[in-house]
Amino acid sequence: MTQVLAVWAVELVLFALVVAALLAERPLALGATIGGIAALAVIARTSARLWAWVTAAFRAHRAAALVGAAVLALALPFFLRASPYWTFVATLALVYVTIGQGLNLQIGTTGVINLAGAAFAGLGGYTVGLLTVGLGVTPWLAFLIGPLVAVVVGALLFVPILKVRGHYLALVTIAFGFIFNILMNNLEFTGGPQGIKNIPTLRLFGYAFTTAPELFGMKLPYHANFYFAALAMAALVTWLTWRLYNSWTGLTLNTVRDDEIAAKCSGVSVARYKLLAFSIGNFSIGLGGAFYAVMVGFVSPPDFDFGYSLVMVSIIILGGLDSIPGIVLGASLLIPLPERFRFLHEYRLLLYGAAIVLMLLFRPRGLWPATVRRYGLREPAASFAPEGGRR
Amino acid sequence: MSLFATRALTVRFGGLTAVDQVDLRLEEGETLGLIGPNGSGKTTFFNAVTGLVPATGEALFRGGPLQGLEPNAICQRGIARTFQTSRLCLGQSVFDNVLIGMHTRVRTGVWDALFRRRRVLAEVRGALAEAAHLLSLFNAELVERGFEPVGALPHIDRRRVEICRALAAHPRLLLLDEPSAGMNPEETLELMKDLQIVRGEMPGLSVIIIEHDMFVIEGVSHRVVAFNYGRKIAEGTFAEVARNEEVREAYLGRAAEAGEAAPAFPPGR
Amino acid sequence: MPPLEVVLQQAFNGLMLGVMYALVAVGFTLFFGVLDVIHFSHGDIFMLGAFTGLSLTFLWVAVGLGSPAVALPLTFLGAILATGLIGVLTGRGCVKPLAKAPPLMTLLATLSLGLVIREAVLIFYPRGADPKPFPALLPQGLFEVGGVVIRYENLIILAIGGAAMVLVDLIIKRTRIGASIRAVAQDAEAAQMMGVDLDRTVDFTFFLGAGLAAVAGILNGLYYSEIHFIMGIMAGVIGFSAAAVGGLGNVYGAILGGFLFGVLQTLAAAFIPRGSEFRDVVAFAVVMIFMVLKPTGILGEKPIERV
Repeated sequence: MTQVLAVWAVELVLFALVVAALLAERPLALGATIGGIAALAVIARTSARLWAWVTAAFRAHRAAALVGAAVLALALPFFLRASPYWTFVATLALVYVTIGQGLNLQIGTTGVINLAGAAFAGLGGYTVGLLTVGLGVTPWLAFLIGPLVAVVVGALLFVPILKVRGHYLALVTIAFGFIFNILMNNLEFTGGPQGIKNIPTLRLFGYAFTTAPELFGMKLPYHANFYFAALAMAALVTWLTWRLYNSWTGLTLNTVRDDEIAAKCSGVSVARYKLLAFSIGNFSIGLGGAFYAVMVGFVSPPDFDFGYSLVMVSIIILGGLDSIPGIVLGASLLIPLPERFRFLHEYRLLLYGAAIVLMLLFRPRGLWPATVRRYGLREPAASFAPEGGRR
Repeated sequence: MSLFATRALTVRFGGLTAVDQVDLRLEEGETLGLIGPNGSGKTTFFNAVTGLVPATGEALFRGGPLQGLEPNAICQRGIARTFQTSRLCLGQSVFDNVLIGMHTRVRTGVWDALFRRRRVLAEVRGALAEAAHLLSLFNAELVERGFEPVGALPHIDRRRVEICRALAAHPRLLLLDEPSAGMNPEETLELMKDLQIVRGEMPGLSVIIIEHDMFVIEGVSHRVVAFNYGRKIAEGTFAEVARNEEVREAYLGRAAEAGEAAPAFPPGR
Repeated sequence: MPPLEVVLQQAFNGLMLGVMYALVAVGFTLFFGVLDVIHFSHGDIFMLGAFTGLSLTFLWVAVGLGSPAVALPLTFLGAILATGLIGVLTGRGCVKPLAKAPPLMTLLATLSLGLVIREAVLIFYPRGADPKPFPALLPQGLFEVGGVVIRYENLIILAIGGAAMVLVDLIIKRTRIGASIRAVAQDAEAAQMMGVDLDRTVDFTFFLGAGLAAVAGILNGLYYSEIHFIMGIMAGVIGFSAAAVGGLGNVYGAILGGFLFGVLQTLAAAFIPRGSEFRDVVAFAVVMIFMVLKPTGILGEKPIERV
């Protein structure tokens, strides 16, 4: 029981630090918060026993940890209610988590290098814009069709290319990203450089998401509606991705990444699995883009250019290739941080790029590295042993 | 009708003929040793059989042709193999490296993974038990380390994991490519015992084993075939092939003929 | 069907573009040949070379060496040296440490390095976001041949570009370091056992590639009379595509690919409706189609994996 309490206590402390770091205005408060975070990090590093105890507690009580995290995630908008801006940023981070899980499935899990993440998100976003504004389709339906368009376009264009070697695939995805951008910029029906404006917001039983909600006697900015929706979306996508990873499919995809020839000779249809990962990944990516369109209310070409593809990739590398919790961590760090340090805004892309290079050189497995697949099973390895056996 | 047969199987890379009109035949439950100097086309022969390189001629397995089939289809027909440089996924767990061998027998798919997890877990548990069983044939410690990355294991254990992966596919024909490469004499002895265990565990299994270590070949083969420059130059029992002049010459060069002091043949022991 | 002179004119313009693409493509193909890597930041090195050249022209004017006859060769020389050195640094800092890692890492690292270079120029070069005019250091004037207008500048650009390619060819074929490059490209281990100094060869390859990119960058500046910090993205993608289409590892293939793209883009821009907006789309579509049909390129890529 103490372990469970300890887990919740740690989560609470981290949560408090994060909220304080986001909201602290006066330099003293900000400095104190950063100091607190740094102190924690130092403690965690130097006292190996404490670190080991805490991680063991988390591992032993995964369900409790998830419940705790969920509660805190739901509580966040209440603490941020004075700032619509930060609520928006938090929601954006959740959108990137959704996109990141899809992109990670492609790049990290399967080794399919997709450098057109922004374009596929754009396919989702533009589909929503075109369907709702152009054809009057209801936002919810458009929201579901958007990702499907991303999947279909990806499948059609890339079936022949998925079997070529990694760097050619990277080149083709870069090329595709640019083609998408140029087309969106120059075609009439996509609104050209202005994009598509006035995308209608989501409505739930008549309640428009642009209405500021009032919960538990507190008035939240309307962005909180999107936050809760994004939280549900990101949680769902992360959960399903986790299930996929901890199944035969995840194993097969990893093997396709690590050694195609061994995979083939074990009966795997490599082309089929690459296409599978590419498509499922594009669904998540397109979903994120579709949500973005509804959340912000407009889409335009610069929203989905190559720079954003690189941001998405940097999230994956920072968090950890093939690491599902790593994506959550990566997005949570890389999206709010530049906003927090406004004076760094100009240097944002420079820092993203430098971060990737440094991570790849010194910590290629990311901040939260992927671990060996356990299929979510608790039993130790030895429990599968038959009775007897040699030596 | 033989389980496995090739007729005039030929592999050409540009101007080079790596495998030259090879006729081979293998019955059920038979272990065939495949020997020959480096570069004589043995691995290329395996690659042709498993569909990794294009070949002309005929290769028949269980009555059906293998030509034109993709490697994964060939595996589904019942042929599994190991590789000269063990192709294991070093970052993945020991269990996972064996489990992938069962790919052709897995029933649950993406839908089950997402929405019917209980089925997937039941299948996975059964698979883990089977993997543990295979691993324990060679070394019970491998099971205890089942969830460790396979890269942490010593060389001989990695070979064993690779063999388990091949066996996990429930093949009818197992192709082993130089399993004892990189092993010292003690480890080679262990390996031979491992192969004999496999034979005991799966008597119907047919095996073709490429080896340079004649001790292993002698210990496990019913018949031996010798290659040189892509051609089959001798076939018979180990003793017959070892005595064959052309085989000796292929390994030792003309010195053997000229009567100069030649190194002992067979090499290895 | 447009009149012949127009087609020829555009084809000539295409050659100009092609020369610059070819120089960048050769760099890509050298890196792939020697190190089995795609150096994704090479396009931004091209941009860096152009900016270095530009800065040098200011320097020459400041020290009184502003006359074109003097400034031009000095600019080339200075830019080649400076950019070449930066190239060596990127190789040592970013590419070599990741030599043993999966290719995905190198790809992402060099891609990000390109981003860093690009942003650094944007941020640190005065008013980096604006296109910068490039001084006209080449003799003006033109003449006509059969309805086709040929400017002296363009001839000289072609000549310089061509000379650079011939020089590279000579270096690779006739010098010792060139022989080491060829040896390492074929089989790095064997080359080392024959006494080839791998580090030096790699350093030189980076120097050579970056130097070529600098030449291309300056030529680009001279041709368009301006440079922009984002010019490296397109150049990089098309340079890589050209090298891939020609066959990665094959220097002649890279040159061929470069000219192919140059002519293709220019003709498309001239003769397809709204072509100038879509000329990049044409280039990219060609890349995608080519990668599907013949990923190993026209002249063939060097094989890599053994079973």
